[in-house]
Amino acid sequence: MSRNPFEHPLLVVVGAGGVGKTTLAAALGAASAQAGADTLVMTFDPSARLKDALGVGETARDREVRVALTGGGRLDASLLDAAATFDRLVRRYAPDDAAAARIFGNRFYHHLAGSLAGILEYMAVERLFEVAEEGRYRRVILDTPPTRQALDFLEAPERIVNFLDSGALKVALKNWFDADGRLATRAGRVVSRGIEALLDRTVGLELLREMAEFFQAFGPLFGGFRSRALEVRALLKRRGTRFVLVTAPGEERTADTLYFARLLVERGHHLGPIILNQVHPAVARVPASGAWREGLALLAHFGARDHRAAAELAGLLRGESLVTLPLLPEPPADLAGLAALGRLAAARGYRTAAS
Amino acid sequence: MSGGAAMPALLKRRGLVVVTGKGGVGKTTLAAALGRLYAAAGRKTMLLEVDPRQNLHHVLGVPPSEREVVGAGPRLWLQNLRPTDVLEDLVRSKLKVAALARRVTASPMFQHFAAGAPGFKEMALLGHALRMVRGDLKPAVDVVVLDAPATGHGAALLAAPQLVADVITKGPVGALAREVAEFVAARERCAVVIVTLAQEMPLQETLELLTVLRERSGRAPELVIANALVPPLPGGAAPAGADDALALWRARRADNQRQLSRLRDAWAGPLLEVPLLAADGPALPTAVAQLLERA
Repeated sequence: MSRNPFEHPLLVVVGAGGVGKTTLAAALGAASAQAGADTLVMTFDPSARLKDALGVGETARDREVRVALTGGGRLDASLLDAAATFDRLVRRYAPDDAAAARIFGNRFYHHLAGSLAGILEYMAVERLFEVAEEGRYRRVILDTPPTRQALDFLEAPERIVNFLDSGALKVALKNWFDADGRLATRAGRVVSRGIEALLDRTVGLELLREMAEFFQAFGPLFGGFRSRALEVRALLKRRGTRFVLVTAPGEERTADTLYFARLLVERGHHLGPIILNQVHPAVARVPASGAWREGLALLAHFGARDHRAAAELAGLLRGESLVTLPLLPEPPADLAGLAALGRLAAARGYRTAAS
Repeated sequence: MSGGAAMPALLKRRGLVVVTGKGGVGKTTLAAALGRLYAAAGRKTMLLEVDPRQNLHHVLGVPPSEREVVGAGPRLWLQNLRPTDVLEDLVRSKLKVAALARRVTASPMFQHFAAGAPGFKEMALLGHALRMVRGDLKPAVDVVVLDAPATGHGAALLAAPQLVADVITKGPVGALAREVAEFVAARERCAVVIVTLAQEMPLQETLELLTVLRERSGRAPELVIANALVPPLPGGAAPAGADDALALWRARRADNQRQLSRLRDAWAGPLLEVPLLAADGPALPTAVAQLLERA
C-alpha cells in the first residue's frame, strides 16, 4: 500500500538556499489544509511576496496566526524567531528569575543567541517540538533556515548534547576567578602575577572572565537543556517525521543532493520525496533565424540542461522518490496559487510513490 | 552595461577583493572571472574559497584544492580553506612555542570555541588574506579574491574583526583583530563586490546588505553586479510552439526590470549588469570575464 508521502504528521523541508524551499513549505501547507487537515506552516524568513501570499505579517513572529482559507481544514502560519525561542528556553530551565536575569544580562548571551553555530537550526527544531507536544495540528510543516548542506540543521541537537557532555564545560564551569576577579587556582590560591600576565598577553583575561561568567550563569540550566535536546533528536527520527529534500537543477547540486539524501538515511531519519524544483521548460523548436532566435536558444539551453539534470538525478537514486516541479513564470502570489503548487507536488509525489 | 569607470578602477587594485552575495547568485563564477582578469592584467592573484563543497576549482577547470595551493593558470592560484585550519594556523603563528600551540588547538575548549565563538573564524579568514597580500604567506600575491561564504550576510564577515577587537582588547589576538579590522575598513586595500540577481529575494538581501555595510562598517561596496539578466523581448509575433518558455521569458524580463529599478532607487553607486549566458562549467567565467573586460 502506498500512501501520499506528503501526508505524514511532520514534514521537515530541507535544502540549500535559493531553491524555493520556503515557497514549497507554504504550498504544501496550503494544499494540506485545503484537503481537510488542520495544518501549521512554520517558516523562517519568507519573502515579502510570500508573506503577502499567505496573508501574514510581523504579527506571526513567534506565534501562530490564522491564514484565511475557504473550505477544508485550518491553516496557521508562524515566523520562527530564534532569539525569542532561546529566551523562552532560558526562562523554562532557569531555577529562578535571578538566574535568568544573570544570563539575559551577559554580553556573551546576546552574541550567542544570534550567532552561535547551529543555534538558529536548533531553535527551529526546538519550536517544532513545542508545537508537536501541544498536538493542536494534524500536520506541521517546518521550513528550515538555508544552510549550506542543511547539515547544521541535523547536527544541531547532537552538537548541543556533545557540547554539554564535553570536557569543555567542566573546564568552563571551574572557578577561574576569585571574588576580587583575580585568576585563581583550584586550591583557591591566587596565581602569580607572572602567570596571570602571561595568560593576559596570550588570550586576554577579560575574555576568559566573561566566558566564565556566562558558563557559570548557564550551569544550572544544562541538565534541562540536555534532556530536551535528546527528545528533540528523537522527534527528528520518528516514523511520522518525513524530510522533504528540495533541490534545483545545476551542475554542482546533484552530488550535494545525493550526499545529503544518503546522510539523512544513514542517520536514521525518514526521507520523503526529493523535490527537484525550478526546472526550466523544454523548448521544442528554436527558429533558425529572426529576432526571437537568440533568446529562445538561451532558454532552450537551460531547458535541456535541467532535463538532463533530472534524468541524471533519477538514474542515481536508489529507491528514493523524485518529484520534479517546473520553474514558474511567477511565484505564487496568493493562497490559491500556493495551494495549486502544493497539489501539483502532492499529485506527483503520490504518483511516484504508487509506481 | 553601465558600470561607469568602476570596472577599470576595480581592476587596477591591489589587496583584497571580497566577492559576496546570497547563495546561488553566481558569486563563485564572478569571483573566478575577476581572478582571471587580474591574472591577465599581470597581477599575481589568489582565489580563496572557504566552502567545503569546493566549487571554485570546478569553474576554473582544475583539480580540487583540498586546502593546498593549486595553480589555475599564469599568475593565478586557488586555495580552498577550512575556517578551523585558518584559526589554528593563526594561533600557531601567535604562540611562538609549538608545544603550547598544539596543546591549545587540541583542547576541547578551543575546538568548541572555534566552532561557536562569533566572529573568530571570519576574523581569522580575513587575517589569512591580509597575511597573503602582505607577503607573509606563500605564494606572495598582489591580489586576493575571496569568494565569501554564502551563509548569512557578507556584512557579518566584514564586521567580524571589529566585533572580536571589541571583545578582546588585549593580547596578540586583540592586536590582530584590530589590525584586520583596520585592513578591512581601508577601502584602498579592501574592496567589496556584491553580486545579486534582479529577483525579489536576492535583491532584498542586497538592499539589507547595503544598509548593514553602511551602518556597521561605515562603507559602501566598490561595485554591485546584477547577474544573469534575461534579454529584452523582440517586437512582432512570437514563434509558435514555445509557449512555456515565452511565458517564463516575459515574466522574468518584467521582474528583472522591476527589481533593477528597486535597486537603482536604493543604490546610486556603480552598478554592472551582466546578462544570462548559455555556458556551463569553465566556459562560463571565461565568457563573463570577456564581458567584464569590455565594461
